[in-house]
Amino acid sequence: MAENDNGKVRILAFLCNWCSYAGADLAGVSRLQYPPNVLDIRVMCTGTISPYHIIKAFQMGIDGVLIAGCHIGDCHYIKGNYMTYKRFQVMRDVMKFVGIDEDRLRLEWVSAAEGEKFADVIKGFTEQVEKAGPSPLRSGWEKDPANWESIRNAFKPLETRKPA
Amino acid sequence: MSIKERARELLGGEVEGVLGYRIVGGSHLPQLFTAADIDGMAEDYPADERYPLTSIVRRLQAEDPGIRLAVVARGCDERALIELCKQGQVDSGCIVILGLACDEELAQRCGCAEPFPSEIMQGRRVEGVPEDPLVEKIERLPAEERLDFWLSRFGSCIKCYGCRNVCPLCYCKECALDDAEMVERGRVPPTQPAFHLIRALDMAGRCVDCGLCEEACPMGIPLRALFRKVGRVVEDNFDYRPGRSSEEKSPLAVLGTEKDLE
Amino acid sequence: MTDYRTVPTVCPYCGTGCGMLLEVSGDRLAGVLPQKGHPVSDGTLCIKGWAAHEFVASPRRLTRPLVRKDGKQVAVPIEEALALVAEKLRGTVEEYGPDAACFICSAKCTNEEDYLVSKMARASVGTNNIDHCARL
Repeated sequence: MAENDNGKVRILAFLCNWCSYAGADLAGVSRLQYPPNVLDIRVMCTGTISPYHIIKAFQMGIDGVLIAGCHIGDCHYIKGNYMTYKRFQVMRDVMKFVGIDEDRLRLEWVSAAEGEKFADVIKGFTEQVEKAGPSPLRSGWEKDPANWESIRNAFKPLETRKPA
Repeated sequence: MSIKERARELLGGEVEGVLGYRIVGGSHLPQLFTAADIDGMAEDYPADERYPLTSIVRRLQAEDPGIRLAVVARGCDERALIELCKQGQVDSGCIVILGLACDEELAQRCGCAEPFPSEIMQGRRVEGVPEDPLVEKIERLPAEERLDFWLSRFGSCIKCYGCRNVCPLCYCKECALDDAEMVERGRVPPTQPAFHLIRALDMAGRCVDCGLCEEACPMGIPLRALFRKVGRVVEDNFDYRPGRSSEEKSPLAVLGTEKDLE
Repeated sequence: MTDYRTVPTVCPYCGTGCGMLLEVSGDRLAGVLPQKGHPVSDGTLCIKGWAAHEFVASPRRLTRPLVRKDGKQVAVPIEEALALVAEKLRGTVEEYGPDAACFICSAKCTNEEDYLVSKMARASVGTNNIDHCARL
C-alpha cells in the first residue's frame, strides 16, 4: 500500500483471516502485481463487518470498499458469510439511493488458494473505482481530507479483535 | 364495543393498566389508566396527536415485569409490538391490543401501506398508500443529484435526536449516534451523511413506517422516504416486511439457510 | 403498581417556549415527549428539550454548598457559604466598585429566582453585570 497516494483513488479492503487474507498473502508470495492503493484490514470473518464500518469508511473519504470473504459453504465459522451477503445487499441498495455509487462497494468470495483471483479482483475493482472517480464525500469530517495515517488508525484496531 | 368500553371490561381483572389518552386543556396526552380512573380515558383519537405508546409499554414492562397491560394501537403500533416481541424487548403475552383503525384523511396523509391493526375495535378500515411518490422521484434522479438532494436535507439537521428518541424500534442502551467515532462530537449539522445512514441501515428489517420520526423532526427532513426505501430494499431482496408476522424473523437477525441467499 | 402519566409544560431552557410533556412514573421523572399540536413547537424539540428532565435526578447535581479550602472543595453548612460570599462580594465592591461584580443565573431555576438575582445585582450591589445561560 503506497504511502503517497498521488491523488489516486484509495480503497479499503476487508479480508477474512481464513480465506481472502491468505489469498492476498499468496498473491504477494507469488509476486503477482496489483495496484498499491489498497489498505487491507484483516478481520476474523467478514460476518463481523458492521454497516457502521462501511459508513465510517466512506465518511473518511475512502473511494471504494471491498469485502472479500470465504465462498458460501466454506466459512470458517460456518455461516458468517451469509450475514455478509445479506448485509451487503442492503448496504449497496441503500447507499445507491442516498447517492453513493454502487460501483464503490464490492463483495467477492476469494479462497486461500486463489492468489490470482485476488490480484484480478483488486485490479478490476481499482479500475472500476477509478472510473467512478474520487468519492464525492472526500472532504469527510476530518479537518484535512483523511490521509492514510488516520484511516489506518481508524480501522487497524479491528485486527486485534478476538474471533467472533 | 368501543375501545373505552373494552378497556373498562379488561380492568375488571384481566389487566392492571390501560395505556390510552386523557384530555388535558384540549390536548390528548398519554396516560396509564387503572380501574380507579378509567372514566377519564378519552374516547377519540385525533390523527394529529399520536404518541409512541409502544415505547411506553416497553418501558412499563421493563420497570414492572409481568404487568398486564392493554394499549390503544393503530396498525403501526401493532407492527411495532410484533417486532419488539420478536426482538425480545416486550412480552406480547402480557399485552392486549385495543385495535384502532386510522381514518381516511390520516391514512392518505401518513401514507403507510396498512393503516389498520389485525383486529379493529374502533374505526373503519380504509386502504393504505402502496408506494411513496417521493421515493420514486428520488430514484429517478441521477446519482450526483441524489447525493446533493440528501446532503442538502441532512444539512439542515440540528441533531436533536428526536427521530431516534421517538422511534418505537430504537431501544439500544448504547446508540451508535452517541459514539464519537461515528458521529463527530460538537458539530451541527452532524456528520453527513453518516448520521442518517446509520439510522437508515439500523432500520433495515425493523422500521414499521409509523412516521413518528418525520413528525418529530423540527427541520422537515424527508426521513420517511429514506426509511421506506430501506424497507423496500429488504422486501425486494428477502421478501420480508417488519410487523407482518409474529413468527417470521428478520433475515438480518438470523443466519438463515442457503435458500435465503437467492 | 407502576403509574404513568404525562404532564404538559413548557421547556425551561431558551426563550422559544416549546411545549413538552413530562413523563411521570410514581414520583420519578422518566422522560420527555414533545407535545403534538403545540402552537410553538408542533410536536418537535431540540436536544436540550429532549434532555430537560435529566438534570432533576442527576447524580451530578449539587446538593450541598462547596467551598474551596486548601485547594479542595469541601461541603460546608449554608450559613458558612453565604457568609463567605457576602464578605467577599462586599469586599470586592468596596475596593473596586460595583461593576467588578457579575451575576449569572440559570434556566434551571425559576424565573422568580432569576428575578431576585437581578434585583440584588441592580438594586443591592448596583451593577448591570447580569446574565443568564439563555441570555434571558
